[in-house]
Amino acid sequence: MDTLYIGIVVAVYLAITAYLGWLGFKQTTNAADFLVAGRKQHPIIMALSYGATFISTSAIVGFGGAAAVFGMGLLWLTFLNIFVGIFIAFVFFGKRTRKMGHNLDAHTFPELLGKRFDSRFIQGATGLLIFLFMPIYAGSVLIGGAIFIAQTFSISYDAAVLGFTIITAVYVVFGGLKGVMYTDAFQGVLMFIGMALLLIYAYTSVGGVMAGHTALSKLAPEAKILFGKGGHMGWTSMPAFGSAMWMQLVTTIVMGVGIGVLAQPQLIVRFMTVKSNKEINRAVLVGGVFILFMTGVAFTVGALSNVYFWNNPKYQTVAIEAVKMAQAEKEGKVYKPVVSVELTKKREADAAAALLNPALAVKEPAKPAAAVQSAAIAPKTGAAAPAAPAPAKPKASGALTDAIIPLFINEAMPKWFIPIFLITLLAAAMSTLSSQFHTMGTALARDVYEKGLQIKSKNTVLVNRMGTLFTIILSLGVAIYLPRFFETGSAIIAKGTAIFFGLCACAVIPMYVGALYSKRFTKAAAKSGFLAGVAVSLLWMAFIHSAEAAPLGICMALTGKASLLDPRSWISNLDPLIAALPVSIIVSLLVSALTSPMDKEHLKKCFNGIEKV
Amino acid sequence: MFGFGDLGVWSAYAFTIFSVLICILYGILKWNETDEDTKETGK
Repeated sequence: MDTLYIGIVVAVYLAITAYLGWLGFKQTTNAADFLVAGRKQHPIIMALSYGATFISTSAIVGFGGAAAVFGMGLLWLTFLNIFVGIFIAFVFFGKRTRKMGHNLDAHTFPELLGKRFDSRFIQGATGLLIFLFMPIYAGSVLIGGAIFIAQTFSISYDAAVLGFTIITAVYVVFGGLKGVMYTDAFQGVLMFIGMALLLIYAYTSVGGVMAGHTALSKLAPEAKILFGKGGHMGWTSMPAFGSAMWMQLVTTIVMGVGIGVLAQPQLIVRFMTVKSNKEINRAVLVGGVFILFMTGVAFTVGALSNVYFWNNPKYQTVAIEAVKMAQAEKEGKVYKPVVSVELTKKREADAAAALLNPALAVKEPAKPAAAVQSAAIAPKTGAAAPAAPAPAKPKASGALTDAIIPLFINEAMPKWFIPIFLITLLAAAMSTLSSQFHTMGTALARDVYEKGLQIKSKNTVLVNRMGTLFTIILSLGVAIYLPRFFETGSAIIAKGTAIFFGLCACAVIPMYVGALYSKRFTKAAAKSGFLAGVAVSLLWMAFIHSAEAAPLGICMALTGKASLLDPRSWISNLDPLIAALPVSIIVSLLVSALTSPMDKEHLKKCFNGIEKV
Repeated sequence: MFGFGDLGVWSAYAFTIFSVLICILYGILKWNETDEDTKETGK
């Protein structure tokens, strides 16, 4: 019954997606249709497409699971997603991007920058950056989607990744940006419905809004037992300022992803798909509400899942420990959680007894629950496992955090909702992936091949289709190879996303702002800021930031150390974006001040009508 | 504080709601605003 129900829901979803992809194919007759969707898209389609591209499965499952560990402090990322990713991006960047894109007849984001600075190098280099590094991000989304599909349908990872790639590839290669945006909009609607239902059910399962928040606040002592050494202060509090968890939450998750969104080529190109600023104004409303229901819901539900599992008689522990229990059960073992209702009662009874009899407390000092209760997993046969201390880790492994939201859905939601959520996640993965495929393909074909290398082609649409197909195969290779390079699939998703967002931000933000807002910003400044941003970012990843330096192994090969600095130091936890973006900005400003501005006639053409925007 | 443990998270919640309201208000107020470009071309 369940399998049939899921099968019907997925079949209907794929049929509608195929129809919309076919519609895009029928309406694609020239390069402008394939690259910028004919520049006449409806504001709701544009906003939903932007939002659905922005939010992938990893934002819902990966970052939602992270919220179950870090807590509601992740809502700062939702704030940035909405305020920076929608309001600032649309109002202060989108309108000027659209207008300048029209003035210069730009079809891609690298082409906009290249034409604005009259530089083949800038267009080619930005295209190359996308072509070289976006496959890591696309591969990460592909891995997340394939793992999810493989688990849901009980098929192999390789079969899932291949099937997922082929289905998405068909409508991207043939439908172009029109096919991508039509399917994105449909997928965005499904995501909105799924997340709205999730929010309602989640708050209902914990007794309401205020009751849920208050119950979560009361679990702060358990959070400190589990993650106190990393600086955790509770799921409704920020981690201790400057601690490892604070650095990871604020510099990598909140700032890295929150600011990096401004420089995402697959999002920026959407501003060039509408015919006037009226569409962008209307899209602000739709986009703001949409993002609230995506990351806002995922992060709130992720954090609240701790209360649900704590109150659930089957688990009586917090989310991350519930996942360990569920995984052990699957393997026929028993996991004793480090924190639980039972242990808390015992701790409180011990504390009360110590208060009544201080002498007893001196003789037998109360041990922290983490030390008393080992994290041992014992076989169900009853044989006691050797007691091992469970050190508090500053962060939980990605594999465990990614399992939190699916477990919560399976345990807390009604059975009919599970296929709905399955489609929600499938839509989130496909909408992001299709846009990534399109952006990588056009970066290779249009920006590097046609413009950067100046190779003339008779059929631009065909060349772009070939470029898209090539980058899809490349991403498939990344998705198959990357899990063998890093330790677990889930860790890759977060790392791959953060690497691309940070790199794009450092390379592109200074020149993008200069392009739209300053006639004094020079071509040399754009080039030097780009190179400085890329260089510092890559060096920081390879030698300083331990999250990337250790798995990359370059520092280890050259110096014999995983990272040049102590991995526990705050600098080693500082995200490359925070280090490289200021350097890129300073270099751009200095070079701009020392070099001559561009030709006035060219600037007049670029900024025609921009001041009125 | 709406059930939250500290001002940091309370502020995040408040700023999130505030930013959505800004988007909604902006969209409503500028719903029919047409830019010069569109007026000129008559599109």
